[in-house]
Amino acid sequence: MFFKKKKQTEDPKEVPISNSLEKNTKHLKQLFSFGLNKDFSVREITARYSNKKINLFFYSSIVNSTKIHEGIIRPLLEAQGDDLTTIITLENIKESKDFGEVVDDINSGNIVLFLEDSNKAFSVNVADFQHRGIEKPENENAVKAPKEAFTESLYVNISLIRKRFHDKQLIAEAKPVGARSKLDVTVMYIKDVVNNEVLENVRERLDNLTIDNVRNIESLEQYIEDRPYSIVSSLLYTERPDRAASYLEDGYIVLLMENSSACLILPVTFWSFFHSEEDRYLRFLFGNFSRLIRFLAFLISLLISAVYVSVTNYHNEMIPPDLLLAIVSARERVPFPVVFEIMLMEVSFELIREAGLRIPNPLGPTIGIVGALIIGQAAVEANIVSPIVVIIVALSGLSSFAVANISMNYTIRLTRFIFIFSAAFFGMLTLTGAFLLWVMYLASLRSFGVPFLAPLSPNFQSNRDTIFRKMIKNEYFRPGQLKPKDMRKKG
Amino acid sequence: MMRKLLMFTVLLVPLAGCYDQTEVEQQSYVIAIGLDKTDDEGTFRITFQAANPEVGSTLSSGGSQEEPRETVTLEGNDLIAAKDTANSVMTKQIALDHTKVVVVSEELARSGEFLRIIQAATRTTELRRSVQIIVSKENASDFLKNNQPLLETRPHKYYQYMLTRATQTGIIPESEIHRFFQITEGDADAFLAIYATTEQTEPKETGNEDQYIAGEIPVEGGNPTQFMGSAVFVEGKMIDILSGQETRVANILDDTMDMEALYSTFPDPKDKRYRIATNFSKDRPTDVKIEYHKNQPTKINVTIPFTIEVVGVPSLVDYSKNKENRKLLEAYIPKLAEEQANNLVKKTQEQYKTDIFYWSLYIRKYFTSIDEYEKADWNNKIYPNAEINVDYKLKQLYFGKMIDDSNLGEVRD
Repeated sequence: MFFKKKKQTEDPKEVPISNSLEKNTKHLKQLFSFGLNKDFSVREITARYSNKKINLFFYSSIVNSTKIHEGIIRPLLEAQGDDLTTIITLENIKESKDFGEVVDDINSGNIVLFLEDSNKAFSVNVADFQHRGIEKPENENAVKAPKEAFTESLYVNISLIRKRFHDKQLIAEAKPVGARSKLDVTVMYIKDVVNNEVLENVRERLDNLTIDNVRNIESLEQYIEDRPYSIVSSLLYTERPDRAASYLEDGYIVLLMENSSACLILPVTFWSFFHSEEDRYLRFLFGNFSRLIRFLAFLISLLISAVYVSVTNYHNEMIPPDLLLAIVSARERVPFPVVFEIMLMEVSFELIREAGLRIPNPLGPTIGIVGALIIGQAAVEANIVSPIVVIIVALSGLSSFAVANISMNYTIRLTRFIFIFSAAFFGMLTLTGAFLLWVMYLASLRSFGVPFLAPLSPNFQSNRDTIFRKMIKNEYFRPGQLKPKDMRKKG
Repeated sequence: MMRKLLMFTVLLVPLAGCYDQTEVEQQSYVIAIGLDKTDDEGTFRITFQAANPEVGSTLSSGGSQEEPRETVTLEGNDLIAAKDTANSVMTKQIALDHTKVVVVSEELARSGEFLRIIQAATRTTELRRSVQIIVSKENASDFLKNNQPLLETRPHKYYQYMLTRATQTGIIPESEIHRFFQITEGDADAFLAIYATTEQTEPKETGNEDQYIAGEIPVEGGNPTQFMGSAVFVEGKMIDILSGQETRVANILDDTMDMEALYSTFPDPKDKRYRIATNFSKDRPTDVKIEYHKNQPTKINVTIPFTIEVVGVPSLVDYSKNKENRKLLEAYIPKLAEEQANNLVKKTQEQYKTDIFYWSLYIRKYFTSIDEYEKADWNNKIYPNAEINVDYKLKQLYFGKMIDDSNLGEVRD
């Protein structure tokens, strides 16, 4: 209702450009609150080639002033010629006929020229938004891998991808998103590989967004995903251009936006979260070893606390007598039940993690000291928890760091609590039940129409790049679950 | 409706939740159970020996002055029901999950009442089937009280090491409760249980390394408990005791027993004053072939492939380089072993009327139904009349690291 109302009111931007420069200038100044808006600049020039007045409009904060001076103002004042396009030396000049376009242009860093006695406006791109340089990846570290990461500039990011994949079929399609502040979402794909259905699906979702503003990729993810309440994410967030490029090559779609130092890859499967790009750069054995370790870490992180709870509470015959007696002697002075003990430690571990993330850098070391002291020693000495629980929780916490992807990391951490609770009810029986349900849930998921556990289940023709990967020379296919137009990668 | 149903099922879980849940520290872990006879029939003296978790644990400091075990004896009619009575003394719920041994007094075992009380073990899920049965010469409660291991103060560790090692050397059999029921209910064969005691009887004077039964071994120092030999159970009732040597032979003849190499001595064929020390190892399975004839004696051929490593020749006779001597030894050792085996087989045939080697396994294939098999009667008809031929096959004879012995003449020069 609210949106409808907004649309019906007369939009001052829809007004067509008139022939009178004075009128146009006045209208534009009003639109941009000239005077009040400090960096909105208007420059009046009398062009030498026509002896007519020309007004220039731009935001001084987001344009390159040297470029304006050298490419526009100076030629206008000095050069002679027949027509504006021959005078201005910059790359391209766009003509517009209504104020809507003009306003968008100015907002996105163009300079707009209004000529006397003309109902056309000319806009030249001189945008110069400030952004960080290209730096090393902060979250997806790798030893044997390129060290470039995306940065908060769309052009730089596209350039980083194009640098890695030279193909005329690599398309960077722009889709404007947002009603008030319009920003382009760049959809990148390889035209003769990508599955059109998925692409159409993405386009549709982007078109259907009815919001004022999507600031970056991170919030876009939540606007276009299928199941916002789901425990697993259906888009892969990565800051590595090499990763994006390799996914593109396989027929995936990459979404980029200004202001985000990462991209979104879709559709994804469980395996994309589980893999790291370094697995492919390492040799066959090394890469698979690292995957094996990560898979173990994944299982340990998910299950070890829950298994401890169920085994100590219900199945103590499973524990070797030495360990059992050690646990008993440690627990004799602990006042809480095992479940509570585990929860206490898990929660304090989460606290340390959260606090460590939010704490200002100079205070960082304190977290380590406080955390290690409280959890490692004091709690044990005060008989609040038993040392074995500290080992269990530390192991599960450590393992969760091995699952590098942030979405999967949260999934695991949340699931772990579900498993602990289920283990507390009937031991292994309920834990197995909960695990089964969880796997069934994963199997039921779809990301943009692609089953989440594919190509393992359901089965698709592919490289079987699931837990382990093949020799790189033996990888013939693109992932079949995407139904790419070009299935063969090699041979 | 669906939603309500879902809610209902979800709510059912916490309603039933935590049934069966017990925290580990709220249980007392019984490592050994002792069973004795009382004067009343149907009543038994039951002993529980529980481990103290605080002893031997580096995690806690408080329990170091406490006893490593708590032993409680009480009278009761049933093994499982007695647990609750024991709680009048013991503080925690008694768990039999980690029980390692059941000690039965010889008196109870011989009376035949043992089967009545141990029957409970098949019903309960608590007692493992791998619990070993030990027959003690004295009362089981005394055995458990007197058994004071010096090094492995924690009881579970003591039984674990003691039984594993003694079984490997073959001086005691493997006597899992599961095997006990298998053999007893199979209505054929006899079951061998571990024989042990803490009471030193008159030491046997003329014993070689394994010709003892527990209590007879002249040992100085260490724990008074001796494990040696086995108790023979026929149909759940103990009838005899076998010495360590006989137990070893039984273990060798029985392919279901796991036995590694064992050290054993033989009289020196060249010099009867000394004995040759050897390492006997049976690394290939015993081969038992049975030819069943309905009205004739059944033929049982047993082949035992084995290897001998001579580790000591105190007589200093040259067996290694002298070809004749070597030949003599090669023929002598199997002969001696066969003699031992035949003696034991004869004893079982005549005295027990059944075998202690679980050989009935090999005859079962001749019968199409259990009825038919039971009618044929292994215990009384087939086995006692069978023609049994035990054949020890020496596969290898070697002489250790050094072929030559020291020359006594030169040394004493």
